[in-house]
Amino acid sequence: MLIRSIHTVRGVGTGGATEWRDGTLTVSAEEAQALVAAPSLAGVKVSWASPGDAVRIVKVLDVVEPRSKGPGGGGVFPGWLGPSGPRSGRLGGPAVEGPTHVLRGAAVVVAGYLPRAQEAVIDMSGPAAELSPFGSTHNLVIEFTPAPDADWADVDDALRRGSLALAARLAEAALDAPPDEEETVPDPGPVEGLPRIGAVTNLQTQGVFKDVFVRGESFNGQAPALIDPAEIDDGAVVSGQFGHPSLRNPTWVHQNHPIAGALRARHGKDLAFAGVVLSPEPVSASEKARISAAAAQLCAEAGFEAVIVTKEGGGNADADVALKMDALEDLGIAAVGLFAEMAGPDGTGPPIVVAPEKATAMVSTGNYDTRLDLPEMERSLGGEELALLGVPATSAMQLPTAVILASLGCLGGGRLTCAQEA
Amino acid sequence: MARIVHYLNQFFIGAGGEDAAAQPPSSQAGAVGPGRRLAQLLGDEHEIVATVSCGDDDAAGRPEAIAEIVALIAEHQPDLVVAGPAFTSGRYGLACARVAAGAKAAGLGAVAAMHPDNPGLDEAGGAPVVASGEAARLMGPALDTLSAAVKKLLAGEVLTDADGLVGLAPRRPRMAERTAAERAVDLALTRLGGDRDATEVPLPRFDRVTPAPPIEDLRDATLAILTEGALVPDGNPGALESARATKWLRYSLEGRDELKPGEWRSVHGGFSTVWANEDPHRILPLDAARRLERDGAIGRLYQEYLVTAGNGTSVANARRFGVEWAADLRHSGARAAILTAT
Repeated sequence: MLIRSIHTVRGVGTGGATEWRDGTLTVSAEEAQALVAAPSLAGVKVSWASPGDAVRIVKVLDVVEPRSKGPGGGGVFPGWLGPSGPRSGRLGGPAVEGPTHVLRGAAVVVAGYLPRAQEAVIDMSGPAAELSPFGSTHNLVIEFTPAPDADWADVDDALRRGSLALAARLAEAALDAPPDEEETVPDPGPVEGLPRIGAVTNLQTQGVFKDVFVRGESFNGQAPALIDPAEIDDGAVVSGQFGHPSLRNPTWVHQNHPIAGALRARHGKDLAFAGVVLSPEPVSASEKARISAAAAQLCAEAGFEAVIVTKEGGGNADADVALKMDALEDLGIAAVGLFAEMAGPDGTGPPIVVAPEKATAMVSTGNYDTRLDLPEMERSLGGEELALLGVPATSAMQLPTAVILASLGCLGGGRLTCAQEA
Repeated sequence: MARIVHYLNQFFIGAGGEDAAAQPPSSQAGAVGPGRRLAQLLGDEHEIVATVSCGDDDAAGRPEAIAEIVALIAEHQPDLVVAGPAFTSGRYGLACARVAAGAKAAGLGAVAAMHPDNPGLDEAGGAPVVASGEAARLMGPALDTLSAAVKKLLAGEVLTDADGLVGLAPRRPRMAERTAAERAVDLALTRLGGDRDATEVPLPRFDRVTPAPPIEDLRDATLAILTEGALVPDGNPGALESARATKWLRYSLEGRDELKPGEWRSVHGGFSTVWANEDPHRILPLDAARRLERDGAIGRLYQEYLVTAGNGTSVANARRFGVEWAADLRHSGARAAILTAT
């Protein structure tokens, strides 16, 4: 059973030392920059952006929630900060004792140019702020300058290691503080007389800059696998994919896995949380079919009676959801899929790219193409320009929802949806 | 008496088929072709004062054509513009929808008729579109529907589903009270309870494409190579979008036998482009196409390639690109095309 010690972040600042006091997180910029520094990076800068600020963060790559299980980062982000392998003891690996400390309301955000990354935006105020989970977190933004002649893959790797180390270090500041709240998180398992509902979480796996990591390794080419959801809380799933901004699941979203959260909340009441299966999203149609059948088989063997399937990515990832839903229904397992609609700016186009043929139960997480009018901002982080439009990043602009980071909540964390007008 | 101008393509005014598809906009007095039957159905209170026409390739492929057609129509000061029926014909449907949209934008009343799967449907710009059958053999019932809709519109009434009005009702974004994850759990329990109908997303309606008949002898044919792989000259001079493309571009292949790495680059945002940039032929197989041309397996390679980025592209834009590409290629004599997808 996982225990989360929640420290609610009410204020942030920078100072001479990194410390946690009475709900305020103070960060030593010098220490933070030193943690991220690497041979592939010529310069690193950190600064805060808080909810309500007239700030636009552009070129966002990943977002990480500060979490720690003890000094040095052991126990969180396995494969990055500590040894790889199952951490909880429940699936045969070494147990990592003690609660997971969470700085709720804070996030480490990496922002800057990487080739082939699709440009993602977070607004700290205005209409886009309520669409992204990161419009309401205090964001410590890491900006960087690559070293001359550095390989982009090395820059990417350094940013990932640096942001995870910084996130663990920030939460470490609260290890000895009394938490605001202790959350006891139930393990998945059967409950007499209640239906067993689980999750299949698709992770994008499409090559360099398009892959998600599990326990420090790319999930590309892997088979669907059951994972202890407590491990996901502790950072076993780390994002390294920079495709469609609104359809991305940054690391923060996995740490707060919304489907696992919704199932845990009702475990023992009207359902039994059955577990989580991670599945890759391969690129070829035949592989998608093969992996979908394998994932459904795994759910059947694990005794799931109903499954909520989620995706990450654009239109082709609809196929990964639809094929899995049909494969599950073929095995007599009820399937529900989450889809973001791509219905054109006026919402009259076909809502999804690939629909299930046998399964029918679908949840809408909003329309990719809906236009948003965004206000002028006072400052920008991550870059001076929004390259997508070739305009200053601080200017007033119209953008599709597609560009706002995690706004279409592929993993179900948002409230955005679409409905036909009466 | 209400004044009506009817828009038809080259085929329905009797000017010819594909051979006349490049014909520019023209106007003639009175009702022509199916317009005569429409005039009969409309009776004495309404008059088709003129018929404006244009070849399908010109109307769908030349950017200025629609404005010229609308200008010809406006000369007759109509109370209502009627376009079609276009059935499932893509270029004609697009033209009818755009003429209706242009007329509406110019302050004229307008209605178009076409099959609900016609790619033009999304281009009507808010002008009403009523259903027709799939092909001209269903002209009779199509004109019955259209004439009834015309009478209703001229009487100042609004068309509804019962009048054959087609086009999807828009789905609008809104904030739900609970998260998608919480709603998904509810839906799973509903589904376990045996309800197979509950869903938040209606099944999408997709077009059916009837393939063109095969080319009898490729040795005489001009072959075009096209791609949605976003392969463009290095530096992306045409500023093709990496996602959500709103345009397509054309680049010359004349005098070119290969695509050298470094000179060409894929700006597609939907896949890792490392392998594409290492050898651009992986996206656009110019090397193989030139070999086929030299060997005489194809008559000639089309002198340009057409390119867009197929990544999060809206269906409406993708349809428009398809219709424009078809018009462009047909206009230029290409008879076969290989479209590479990533």
